Amino acid sequence: MGKKLNISRFRPLLVSVLSILFGFAAGSLLLLASGVDPMECYLYLFRGGISTTTRIFNTLANAIPLIFTGLSITFAYKTGLFNIGATGQMMIAGLASVITALSLPAPRVILLPAVVLSGLLAGVLWGGFQGFLKSRFNVNEVVSGIMMNWIAHWMVYYIVSDAFQSATMVTESRTIPDEASLRASWLYQLTGSSSFNYGFFLALAAVVVIHFILKHTVTGYHMKAVGLSPEAAEYGGIHVKKNTILSMAIAGALAGLAGVSYYCGYSSSIRIGVQPSQGFDGIAVALLGNLSPVGVIFAAAFFAVLQAGKGYMNAMVHVAPEIADTILSIIIYFAAISKLVDLYFDRFFAWLHGRKKRTDAVKGAEQE
Amino acid sequence: MKMKKWVSLLLTGCMLAVCLAGCAKEEQPGNSGSQGENNGDTPAVSLKVGLCCGTSSIDDKSFIQSAWEGLQKAQADMGVEIGYLQSSDDSTTATLEAVADLVDAGYQMIVMPGFSFQQAAYDAQSLYPEVMFVTIDTAPWNSGDDTYTIAENTVAIDYDAEQGGFLAGFGSALEVKEGEFGGLFGVETDHTKLFITGFKQGVIYANENYNTNIRLNADNFVWSGTYSDAALGQQIAAQMYENGTNLIYAAAGSTSLGAFNEAKSRAENGEKVWVVGCDSDQYADGLLSDGKSSVTMTTTMKQVGNSAYYVIEEYLKGQYPGGQYLVLNVSTGALSCPEVNPNFSSETQALVDEMTEKIASGDYVVSKEMVDVSAWN
Repeated sequence: MGKKLNISRFRPLLVSVLSILFGFAAGSLLLLASGVDPMECYLYLFRGGISTTTRIFNTLANAIPLIFTGLSITFAYKTGLFNIGATGQMMIAGLASVITALSLPAPRVILLPAVVLSGLLAGVLWGGFQGFLKSRFNVNEVVSGIMMNWIAHWMVYYIVSDAFQSATMVTESRTIPDEASLRASWLYQLTGSSSFNYGFFLALAAVVVIHFILKHTVTGYHMKAVGLSPEAAEYGGIHVKKNTILSMAIAGALAGLAGVSYYCGYSSSIRIGVQPSQGFDGIAVALLGNLSPVGVIFAAAFFAVLQAGKGYMNAMVHVAPEIADTILSIIIYFAAISKLVDLYFDRFFAWLHGRKKRTDAVKGAEQE
Repeated sequence: MKMKKWVSLLLTGCMLAVCLAGCAKEEQPGNSGSQGENNGDTPAVSLKVGLCCGTSSIDDKSFIQSAWEGLQKAQADMGVEIGYLQSSDDSTTATLEAVADLVDAGYQMIVMPGFSFQQAAYDAQSLYPEVMFVTIDTAPWNSGDDTYTIAENTVAIDYDAEQGGFLAGFGSALEVKEGEFGGLFGVETDHTKLFITGFKQGVIYANENYNTNIRLNADNFVWSGTYSDAALGQQIAAQMYENGTNLIYAAAGSTSLGAFNEAKSRAENGEKVWVVGCDSDQYADGLLSDGKSSVTMTTTMKQVGNSAYYVIEEYLKGQYPGGQYLVLNVSTGALSCPEVNPNFSSETQALVDEMTEKIASGDYVVSKEMVDVSAWN
């Protein structure tokens, strides 16, 4: 029994690593078919992600919104909810923080926290409303999430183009002042002029907080109980409706921070008519991270390496950019079905175990 | 115990595979990167030109595609190496990452077509002073203080768009002779305004000198406010055609496609309506179901590809126009009507060609000022 426990500790990691290897293997076939050396491609992919200081920190900057959305989806999942509305929560939070950044004339010490808090609050309201719809009217959060993504999309479109449009670039808002950005000049100099910003530390803090809430608080315990079985939780005296709203609000807050870090850190304005890809990518990050807050950090970092290295690979090897995207998608695909890999993992060991039992039996029979 | 062995075996296998992969790479270090596809007969020149695209790529049937075709032509004629890279989104940060990738991959010249790259171009030209940048349709703008700077390593290309508009308006008026023209445009920018004023001047010139009778009503030149709303475009076009407009100058990206659709469905029912396209030859977009006739009268073509080609050519001659703001026009071949306009009669075509010559030689000057059309109502 002790041995089995040992393996199961490593199992989530193994499953994730296997998913990635499968993804790369399938991508190799595609690359071979298009006549290029897969190993060369992958080498450039990783070089593009981590070969220089600037590239490492750019990769980390790419990872920041992914950590937040991955965490948001992980948290919602742990409490029995599927937060597909992270995209919309990101956009609405981005809108709120950009508006704050553009309209609040205040020094950096006040402005920056205000920017972060306004985004966070917008995320809480947007996500919490989805939770409210679920608990009050039993509207499935997937349906309301997808719909509210589009509401956010068009709200950004109309509000930005009506009141905050850039003078020279009609498809985006005015650029936020440097004082309102999560970027800092000392970080810029230290990290080889990368787009690395304070968002990273916020993200790490969020991981710790979420881990703590889930593992060590009564509220976390209640929310997890609701996730496991709402009926049993209700029977046990837990307020299911309240916890649903609360957990969607927290998930919204996390996705909101993703929006803040994306629009006021990675970028410095909000574009209209475009939905950030990090919302949906966060689902794959959460799954690849085995739905654990700490796992999300590594999964997001891995995704960011691919995202950042893709361009370099394209530039170095003459392979159509679309192929690089396809490989990424295959890896994401395998990451997304890592639960399936998990299942086969089980069967594989069951089969091994069965065989062992059989051989033991045979041995036993022989001894007799 | 046995299971533990299996697990460690599996992990060892993975590690071994990774190690082997690493070794295999190291055996052939010289093979990295550049796989230029030079055509055998052209002399290879050591210039790598990269095209930076955003969310719309080299198959957009319009602006970016035209730029890419220019690079391909340069590859065929001059043997330069070319490549393109799509940034993950249009944001300045993502574009700068794409530029970094191209620079690290040894590209010496980077073409950035479109106004959405203005800030990225501004940052990039000082980040990489040894790399050449070519901005098309825009100059490197700093949105922070709203100024533009063209560094020594950068060439900014813009167009006298009014000349293209003039030729299209002139030709269309000659062909239609009697009727009313309107226009459908996207977001109100100085660029599009040049197209419009040129178009109006072309029509007026035909009215004054060739006895055509084309009416122009300022209310019929509409800003739709978007480049991507075909439904809205169709709605606006339907209203205009309903009010007696015969031809619509549609220069609004995908919104224009709505005007094309409306014109096509009306033409199928026997109405005499026309559209004038923009940027790349849109004759095919106006084809009716018989596949022979098209509602596209002509197109105001902007030769984005030729512009990129021109800069590459100048560089190879040792005359890279760094630091310059190049404004290209009919005389440089950057603006024109398509060479073949099936809806132009041979007389019209001859007159348009003659007018093209006149503008190119400077005998006739198209004004950049907006014109008052109230006399032609």
